[in-house]
Amino acid sequence: MTILEFHEKLKSGKVSAREATNGYLEEIKTHNKRLGAYLEVHTDDAFSDAQRIDERVREGEAPGVLWGIPLAIKDNILIRGKRASAASRILENYVASYDATVIAKLKKSGAIFLGRTNMDEFAMGSSTENSAYFPARNPYHTDYVPGGSSGGSAVAVKAGLALAALGSDTGGSIRQPAAFCGVVGLKPTYGSVSRSGLIAMASSLDQVGVFAQTAEDAKILFEAICGHDPLDSTSVDYKLPTIKPVRTIGIPKEYFADGLDPRIKSVIEATIKKLGKNYDVVEIHLPHTKYAIACYYIIVFAEVSSNMARFDGIRYGVRTAGTDLYAAYRASRGSGIGKEVRRRIILGTYVLSHGYYDAYYAHAQKVRHCIAEDFKKAFSTVDVIVGPTTPTLPFKLGEKVEDPLAMYLSDMYTIPANLVGIPAVSLPAGTAHHDGVEFPVGIQLMAPHFREDRLFEVGKAIEQELL
Amino acid sequence: MISKDDMEHLKGLARVEFDEKETEALAKDLNDILGYVDMLKGADISKVPEMTHAIEEKNIMRSDDADDALASSRDDVVKAFPESTNDYLKVKAIL
Repeated sequence: MTILEFHEKLKSGKVSAREATNGYLEEIKTHNKRLGAYLEVHTDDAFSDAQRIDERVREGEAPGVLWGIPLAIKDNILIRGKRASAASRILENYVASYDATVIAKLKKSGAIFLGRTNMDEFAMGSSTENSAYFPARNPYHTDYVPGGSSGGSAVAVKAGLALAALGSDTGGSIRQPAAFCGVVGLKPTYGSVSRSGLIAMASSLDQVGVFAQTAEDAKILFEAICGHDPLDSTSVDYKLPTIKPVRTIGIPKEYFADGLDPRIKSVIEATIKKLGKNYDVVEIHLPHTKYAIACYYIIVFAEVSSNMARFDGIRYGVRTAGTDLYAAYRASRGSGIGKEVRRRIILGTYVLSHGYYDAYYAHAQKVRHCIAEDFKKAFSTVDVIVGPTTPTLPFKLGEKVEDPLAMYLSDMYTIPANLVGIPAVSLPAGTAHHDGVEFPVGIQLMAPHFREDRLFEVGKAIEQELL
Repeated sequence: MISKDDMEHLKGLARVEFDEKETEALAKDLNDILGYVDMLKGADISKVPEMTHAIEEKNIMRSDDADDALASSRDDVVKAFPESTNDYLKVKAIL
């Protein structure tokens, strides 16, 4: 059931918010142990919030489009009075003292929060294997990863454990799990959605975004959460522009080179061919593509090392004892923070340290400018850029987790949108056969800053073509 | 190449702990990853500015007035203290 379908049923009295919420809570009870999507289910609050929605409908209030919609929320987005741990041990007992702005907005819209979803610890990872609690598993085959870092949210939507979900995307953490799980995943323009109440990973790259079953659902949710926020000075006034139809689609030559699984390539090419019926399709060049991963990771390491400094067991979270203050810091951070996060903290400390700042961080920020210029040039000739979301199909749990570099390389197509700040969406485009399973294949669309409308337009066209 | 001394120095700066085996594995990972990102040196950035933000931003200012709407509840913050005495946060001696 989509958002609009539920909304019609709620308006006409065919279904109540309580029924819908209970339905999802039952599914979660049945399947969550096997899939690892949720770290905590907010059963009582979800039920009482649903009850309140039903009362308001009974009293004759006209329901808003998101009234009673059961959502899954990634564990790094704060809901006041609820635990938020970013899937880390150091925040295991942390109870949020305020609502994230996106949560406050969704509360006002009448949405229901079913619980907090599993993720890679502090959003660092591409498989949800770095969760300090347990991994999430791909609903297509539970030996395989759902992707990450927003794996739990992607699984929840695919497996019918939520109608839609919130995630966060710093280098592909919404789009890659969306591709691996066969759902729609949107990373909005940087600045279009407030980051207040999102536990920060890399502040110049992070965005809260949306998982949904359809492009239309993603659009509805996006419109509910976007907008300027005085609590986030990187947020901007956003108005969905008046729509001028998309004419031209660009296909980057560099995204179809070595490293792309041929099974994914053929699904993407087939979809592009179908799009060619409605749009002009041209080849474009993004010459600095090969630098994107290195550029991204230097910036991420640096910004992560800075953002993680606050997690020290002093004012909140789990404190580990030490003989003196210095020892207490090291013990709390050593035992409460997982290996991948500590790895990135050390790398960030290194690249920002005296003598290395210019060689690494400043240099990476210059390459970032070059990558942005590539996209600026491309968007002067095309309206939307199309390509694969991931270079590989979902991999098995345990396959890449010991090889950080191999894990980093799986983000090659998603990273540029974060570096440049442009909006990007992954949509299911078909399937590919692997190990006896038909795994989903994600197609990625990118548009210029604040042109999410183009993503929704072409997204819907793809959905129509695949009917 | 990151030396053992470098690693100890970094661990101190970052206030994180790793045991001996983890430190060794980490040094290897660091060298692999830094080796990979070295490829950025191939990019021609001679006349290029640093891109520090994804969108054009000006410094955002507001007047220096207390705004209760923006504040977290004091009780929630104090409740979160790992160790406290009479609403004061308790920590190891600083001096």
